[in-house]
Amino acid sequence: MSADQIISWLQATLRWGGPLVLVSVGEVFAERSGVINVGIEGTMLFGALAGIAISYFTGSVLWAVVGTIVLGFLLGAAFAYLTVSRRTNQVVTGLMFNLIALGGTNLLFAMLSETRSVRVATFPILFPESWSNIPVVGPVLFRQPVNTWIALILPFIASWILYRTTWGLNVRAVGDNPQAAATAGLHVIKLKYQAVILSGIFSALGGCALTLGEVGYFASGGMTAGRGFVVLAAVVVGGWNPLRTALACLVFGAADAAQLRLQTTGSAVPYQFLQMLPYLITVAALAGLVGRTRSPKTWGAAYDPKDI
Amino acid sequence: MVINDEVALRMEGITKRFPGVLANDRINLDCRKGEVLGLLGENGAGKTTLMNILYGLHQPDNGQIFIDGVPASIETPAKAIQLGIGMVHQHFKLVEALTAVENVILGMPSQRPPFLDLDPARVRLLNLCEDYGLYVDPSTEVWRMPVGQQQWLEILKALYRDAKLLVLDEPSAVLTPAEGEQLFKAIRKLSQEGRSVIFISHKLGEVLEITDRITVIRDGHVVGTIPTKEATQHELARMMVGRPVMMDRKSRPTMAEKEPVLIMENVSAKDDRGILALKNFNLTVHSGEIVGVAGVDGNGQRELAECIVGLRKRTGGSIRIQGHNVDRVIDDPSFVGYVPEDRHKTGLFLDLTVAENMVIKDYSRPPFMKRGLLQYNAIRKHARKLIKDYNIRTSSEEVEVRHLSGGNQQKIVVARELNAEPVLDVTSQATRGLDLGAVEGVHDTLLSERNRGAAVLFISTELQEVMSLSDRIIVLFRGEIMGVVEGEGADVFTIGKMMLGHASEVAA
Amino acid sequence: MKKTRKLQEFIALPGLGQLVLSGVRPLIGILLGLLTGAGLIALTGVDPMDAYAALLEGSIGSPQSIANVLVRASPLLLGGVGVAIGIKAGVWNIGTEGYMYAGAIGATAVGIIPLPVPPIVHIVLAILAGMLLAAVWGLGPAYLRAYRGVNEVVTTIMMNYVAIFFTSWLVHEPQPMAEPGSFFPMSKILAPTAKLPILISGTSLHPGFIIGILACILFFLAIRFTPFGFRTRMLGANPEAARYAGVNVKRYIVFALVIGALMGGVAGATEVMGLKNRLFMDFVAGVGYESVAVALLAGGNPLGVIASALFFSALKAGGATMSIQTGVGAPMTIVIEALCVLFVIAVGYGERKRLERVDKAKKEGEEVKKYVS
Repeated sequence: MSADQIISWLQATLRWGGPLVLVSVGEVFAERSGVINVGIEGTMLFGALAGIAISYFTGSVLWAVVGTIVLGFLLGAAFAYLTVSRRTNQVVTGLMFNLIALGGTNLLFAMLSETRSVRVATFPILFPESWSNIPVVGPVLFRQPVNTWIALILPFIASWILYRTTWGLNVRAVGDNPQAAATAGLHVIKLKYQAVILSGIFSALGGCALTLGEVGYFASGGMTAGRGFVVLAAVVVGGWNPLRTALACLVFGAADAAQLRLQTTGSAVPYQFLQMLPYLITVAALAGLVGRTRSPKTWGAAYDPKDI
Repeated sequence: MVINDEVALRMEGITKRFPGVLANDRINLDCRKGEVLGLLGENGAGKTTLMNILYGLHQPDNGQIFIDGVPASIETPAKAIQLGIGMVHQHFKLVEALTAVENVILGMPSQRPPFLDLDPARVRLLNLCEDYGLYVDPSTEVWRMPVGQQQWLEILKALYRDAKLLVLDEPSAVLTPAEGEQLFKAIRKLSQEGRSVIFISHKLGEVLEITDRITVIRDGHVVGTIPTKEATQHELARMMVGRPVMMDRKSRPTMAEKEPVLIMENVSAKDDRGILALKNFNLTVHSGEIVGVAGVDGNGQRELAECIVGLRKRTGGSIRIQGHNVDRVIDDPSFVGYVPEDRHKTGLFLDLTVAENMVIKDYSRPPFMKRGLLQYNAIRKHARKLIKDYNIRTSSEEVEVRHLSGGNQQKIVVARELNAEPVLDVTSQATRGLDLGAVEGVHDTLLSERNRGAAVLFISTELQEVMSLSDRIIVLFRGEIMGVVEGEGADVFTIGKMMLGHASEVAA
Repeated sequence: MKKTRKLQEFIALPGLGQLVLSGVRPLIGILLGLLTGAGLIALTGVDPMDAYAALLEGSIGSPQSIANVLVRASPLLLGGVGVAIGIKAGVWNIGTEGYMYAGAIGATAVGIIPLPVPPIVHIVLAILAGMLLAAVWGLGPAYLRAYRGVNEVVTTIMMNYVAIFFTSWLVHEPQPMAEPGSFFPMSKILAPTAKLPILISGTSLHPGFIIGILACILFFLAIRFTPFGFRTRMLGANPEAARYAGVNVKRYIVFALVIGALMGGVAGATEVMGLKNRLFMDFVAGVGYESVAVALLAGGNPLGVIASALFFSALKAGGATMSIQTGVGAPMTIVIEALCVLFVIAVGYGERKRLERVDKAKKEGEEVKKYVS
């Protein structure tokens, strides 16, 4: 591969990995609190559509972001209500969310068909044009839209919050031993809600980053293409740690970028096998072949306040 | 031991009722500053309820609590902590994913919100470790820590909150003898500082060693409080198990030929936490006899039963039933009948019907199965018979078991296990949750099993029924047999002493 | 107290009472789902009654539409019953998407070869090949769950994606299975001897649904009347007690998951052999996940799967008509399906809570109770 190809690949890695990282930040918090938000795929879809729609109607990316955050909040709250308060099975609830999103976004998009041909306002690139002329680093880093940069910085902030704040400590306690947490005086239900709502907000933003991040349009039916599940995989591979998860997202994003390139250039390794890679790695990680990690003890289980 | 005469805690007339039982009956208890008070009593005597009330988990129906002479109303654990009460539970309340220091500060407000101030906490924790000789590494996650250190961590949690009154519930249950020594040093230090300690244990040796006074609770009321210096083993055992009215001993025919059925040699086994629960255990149970296993709960009864029926792997020794080696669950229902301690977990399928629960061991045999298909008519008929014979109250055999009362659920297990006339019956807490009539029924069933020639191992923490039913009684303490006595004419105080860890000179 | 006694006696009627009781809850959920759907339809400016009327017409309004429903029901029946067996055993098999692809691949691999055998042989061989490959797909998650305790939900979902991309690779040139020179990636066409016959000319109705319904009935009988079924139910009801009762827990977990894989494989195979006649990339498009929803709605009961599969496929079949006649997009039916399932599981909470309260009270009463002479 030529240097240009590598640079282009790295650039694409950040571009495709960015939204994944964004989603993963929220999902790490949710899973740490003991809730697997399987519905992030659906929330991403809704966020992707919302971003486009709002950007189209208001012409402003800022309003799109605000609207997406609100949407993510509502979806997260709904998921939390079902899985935490009504104690439904998290997997089923998430899968149904995804189905609703699949059908719902298709419907809504059909109704908003005017947006199809118009390119809407996308996230700006905040760096001067000249910086992208710096060899290697230039195109890779400085031609990225602002959302990619936010995505790169967020894991550090998330890590800080998770490990160095009281709230982060409480979330970790709740996911591992809610009974002990309750005995220590923590409000378990409230913490779970907060964590799940965060995952809703960030998945919606991640979807928005996909459409408004450079692409500028919404491809009905194939927008998220299983990326939500890739994030679920990344969280496992990353051992529920925001930084390692972000790294996993970037690795998966690299595979994604590579396979897109291989689709056009063709090579000895079929691109589909690169597409499979994140999922196979996850199974290997769970089987204990890749790294030794420990999931939050109540991962996926419903919490009964009376269990003390 | 430094003792002021100032009273740190006084509980007066504490009464607590739960549906069907008086858990605490006008209990009076006091603990002075700097005193180590031993709280002695069997399971179900009411100690746990009393301590839960002290810690704000329950509210008493009657009575008053005074902290430092001031009446206190303890509605929540947070209030208890505020009042300087620290509770070290028998079953740890630790978050395993977090480090030691994180567990210690969990739930406490930070000095510089919203950030944690781990560094000062670490320092303070290490100082506490140094002060009391209970060392933990603040930065290690709890799941990596050995159990002994987890115990220290639970204690340090209370000390970090500057508890003036510590309640230690069976603190040495998971400790090695050396660690036990460390614990005692720490307790002595606490006492010197003027802090009070309530030391709950059924280990006589420890209680005699570390406490200043001992309060004995039995059947929900205080039997007495005596200074440790004046306490003897005999006196304590009498206070703990002696009952005003003794249960009648059941009459029985003498069995002539008694063959060994269950032979356990040098058996050792670990419990779920990896701690040795059975140590070099030797036992032989013969046909036509009931061997009762007495002892305070948690001394290896569960592991004993599970090893015999093949549900738990032993780490040493051999178990043979009629010559067959026990290595896995024996699914021949006529071989071993097992009434487990926790029927919901091991004995019953709550979502299946009564009839189905009756045949979980012989559904693949005729008449319940013919030509590869289950015969529900036969299954239902069988269930109806057992329902009648054992007086199980249910509207029909097709009802899901979860709808039945606990007592009736227990009857299903007993009926199923014993009805097939096994060569060996193993029962653990078989009468738990049953009313008087049902208990009588179970006792009669076991006795008729014995009379027909089965070997019966009767594990129970209810000393009365053990003494009433058994031909021989062994006492289990920390996974070892403290002694063996004949059922006929057994002395309850002797047994009581053995239950507290006093080894008898009589060989097994 | 008296009312509950009477109710209990009714429940005691062998099987019937249980069926009614377990049927009522899903019905409430479905009703709520339909109502919410009506609300959503109204939001788009269409009269919900018109829309639902069109739905009905499109699903049962004519022999054509009924045929349509049955065609769509075929994979849901087959996939759904596989997931249902898993539910009975207490395992969550979410891998039907993947199994369908795997089954389709196996069937296509055998089906595109012009074998000189009668159709029935070719068909059976193709289905068997599909089942075999699907079983391979299911073995990984099954082993990991049974022997290493790894959460099967995540592993089966991951395998779905592996299957999707594997299929994609196979139908792109220059793979041997791929159709040379085609615009859309697809496999070569099946040999005529490997295609399932069309039952009613003019429709796409193939015998898949019959196999599906038969499978549901057979599995129901097996679960209820065979020792194998009994052990599976014990496992699902209480794995610990099942172990005591002599059930080889690990082996039965593998059985349950592999059965789900096999049935998913049949679903995929019959889709290709009956409906599509070629293996297309991305052809499953969510039907696997819908089978999971079908099984959940049925509470794991194989007979219930028949009802819920037909319900879902009626919705989908009617959706096209609804779209044409009222302008409400067809994807609305997927939304309504998912809403129904959500309401069912959310409503189920009430029942569970009541049971838990009863259990807790019993337990507390017992632990403190002591035999006092």
